[in-house]
Amino acid sequence: MVDRDAMQAQLKVLSDAYAAQLPEKLKQLELKWNQFSQANWDKEDFLILHRLVHGMSGSGRTFGFSELSSAAFKLEEYLKQAGEKNTALNKEQHVQIERLLGELKQSASRSDKAPAEKFDWIAAFSGRSRVSVSRHVFVVEDDHELSDELQVQLSYFGYEVSVFNTLSKFRAAMKKNPNVVVLMDVNFPEDEFGGIHAAAELQQGRDVPVPVIFLSAHSEMNVRLESVRVGSVAYLTKPVNIGLLVDKLDELTSTQSQAAYRVLIVDDAAHLTDYYAMVLEQAGMLVKVVNDPLEVLRPLSEFTPDLILIDMYMPGCNGMELASVIRQLDEFVSIPIVFLSAEKDLDKQLSAINLGGDDFLTKPIEAHHLVSSVTSRIKRSLLLRSFMVRDSLTGLLNHTAIKSQLSHEMARAKRQGLPLAFAMIDIDNFKLINDKYGHPVGDRVIKSLSRLLKQRLRENDVVGRYGGEEFAVVLVDADSRVAMKILDTIRNDFAQLRHLADDHEFFSAFSCGIADNEKFSDASRLTDAADKALYKAKHAGRNQTMIADV
Amino acid sequence: MTDKLSRILYAEDEPDIQMVAKLALESLGGYVVEISSSGEEAIERAPDFKPQLFLLDVMMPGIDGPTTFKGLRDLPQFADTPVIFMTAKVQPGEVAGYTELGALGVIAKPFDPMTLASQVQTIWQRHHG
Repeated sequence: MVDRDAMQAQLKVLSDAYAAQLPEKLKQLELKWNQFSQANWDKEDFLILHRLVHGMSGSGRTFGFSELSSAAFKLEEYLKQAGEKNTALNKEQHVQIERLLGELKQSASRSDKAPAEKFDWIAAFSGRSRVSVSRHVFVVEDDHELSDELQVQLSYFGYEVSVFNTLSKFRAAMKKNPNVVVLMDVNFPEDEFGGIHAAAELQQGRDVPVPVIFLSAHSEMNVRLESVRVGSVAYLTKPVNIGLLVDKLDELTSTQSQAAYRVLIVDDAAHLTDYYAMVLEQAGMLVKVVNDPLEVLRPLSEFTPDLILIDMYMPGCNGMELASVIRQLDEFVSIPIVFLSAEKDLDKQLSAINLGGDDFLTKPIEAHHLVSSVTSRIKRSLLLRSFMVRDSLTGLLNHTAIKSQLSHEMARAKRQGLPLAFAMIDIDNFKLINDKYGHPVGDRVIKSLSRLLKQRLRENDVVGRYGGEEFAVVLVDADSRVAMKILDTIRNDFAQLRHLADDHEFFSAFSCGIADNEKFSDASRLTDAADKALYKAKHAGRNQTMIADV
Repeated sequence: MTDKLSRILYAEDEPDIQMVAKLALESLGGYVVEISSSGEEAIERAPDFKPQLFLLDVMMPGIDGPTTFKGLRDLPQFADTPVIFMTAKVQPGEVAGYTELGALGVIAKPFDPMTLASQVQTIWQRHHG
């Protein structure tokens, strides 16, 4: 397969550029129309007008603006017909063109990639949506009670949901090739594995598979296997854990690019390492090469690789010895280590693995083999790591991880002489929410705040769930004042967010305390100060942000 | 004529579409794509670029797609080179009109960048398969 991901990324750049130019194009069109409509019939001008509209009609959908395409097409058809006589337009035609022009302008704000307006509260707040993958979910489930429940629950998390209670209705809807994520029950009355069969049918002949998540009362291996065979991205057992499901959906629809994988290569043969480095870099990874195994310690701690490739036979220190040394360093106990070697003897390979290697690649190594082997190792290892450092409800860093991240970032800020701010956030009267509406609703409030924080903080900021309803944020390259500005906007927006519990709507708010490294130079004093400021904010009446005094 | 399609000349006046089509055809189709911004330019460049296939936008300022088509047919080396029209008008009558002119096929605009290359390939294979 050709480089589809790179293509998608480039396509996104082009689409963004197209979207950015749209307002200008519409202005131009409007200007032209105003000029034209106020003057006498001018064929040349009319053609220019026609061409501008034609251009939008022929391009919109390509860049994710289907509605723009159809609105422009309608206007174009009308213009063509109105211009046929080559005489000045009458009043009615004017009105009609104005109306179609209005529709066209409106359609320009509706990109296909954020189909539902109703959930777009975050986008509406931020002014610019970061959501660009479809957040439209097709729920295919014959159990009405469950499908309705899923619809309600998912809509709380900003997903637009369409329910299909039969496979035939679902098949009909898929004929239009919608950009959706499919949530599919396995068992249907007419066919025990109806969901799997429908998914198999769905994926046939597609270059890009439709993401399908299966729901099933069964956890048997054969059903899971079948689901994987038809390309499912996840398999959840009933009763459905909404938190898990939302995490999976968030992951699928997230546009935030994952940090590039980091690979350290240790091999004395420079021509080979250059080749491996090139192959891995082409696959989008960051690569650091070390040609002298005795020099590995520094790059190890500075580059912080996700995986290490080590040649078996090197002068001074062989691969197995090197692996043992690396494994004795606390931070690298679990890092994947892969050996590269011309060694074909299985016994020797096994003993290398005993000494701390995870895998063995035999030279000469094919480029795609190297990439896929490295990628899958890193993926699994990062996933395992995430279980250790992530909070399961929100996916944010857990208490320990955010604390260690804070000291890490503080050391870096100190080294680089940069400001750093730390904020503690606590949801106001959270216990009341739990008592009044129940824990699932409380969890949802926590999740929505965590999502808001993730979406609205800057890319390098670090967010963690500190405990219950308490969050911690490390803002890099920001002092208290800057942090205040950022967090207070978020606080304001969060306070306006409507939460739903059964048929009730309610609002929630948080208080926030901020401190920075200018006044508090070590991590524990900084945390302490932010905590005190938070306490002050609570005392002053909640729903506010305070900066710590010295 | 060789059976494997690799060189395509695309006449299209919209810069947005030029870029996305080039990207789609080159990275997903693996073709070598030359863009001309008008029919005249396409006729001028064709002898040097030696395309195996022309993609022509129907509505362009200056000479339109069908006229460009006739202009290309007048050049002896392109008397038989296949042409696909790109058009926003998808009425069957118009499509039939283009195929009667001798076009290999018609691709509707706006196109989906993810499938453009395979659309081109399908039309090509239908005639060379």
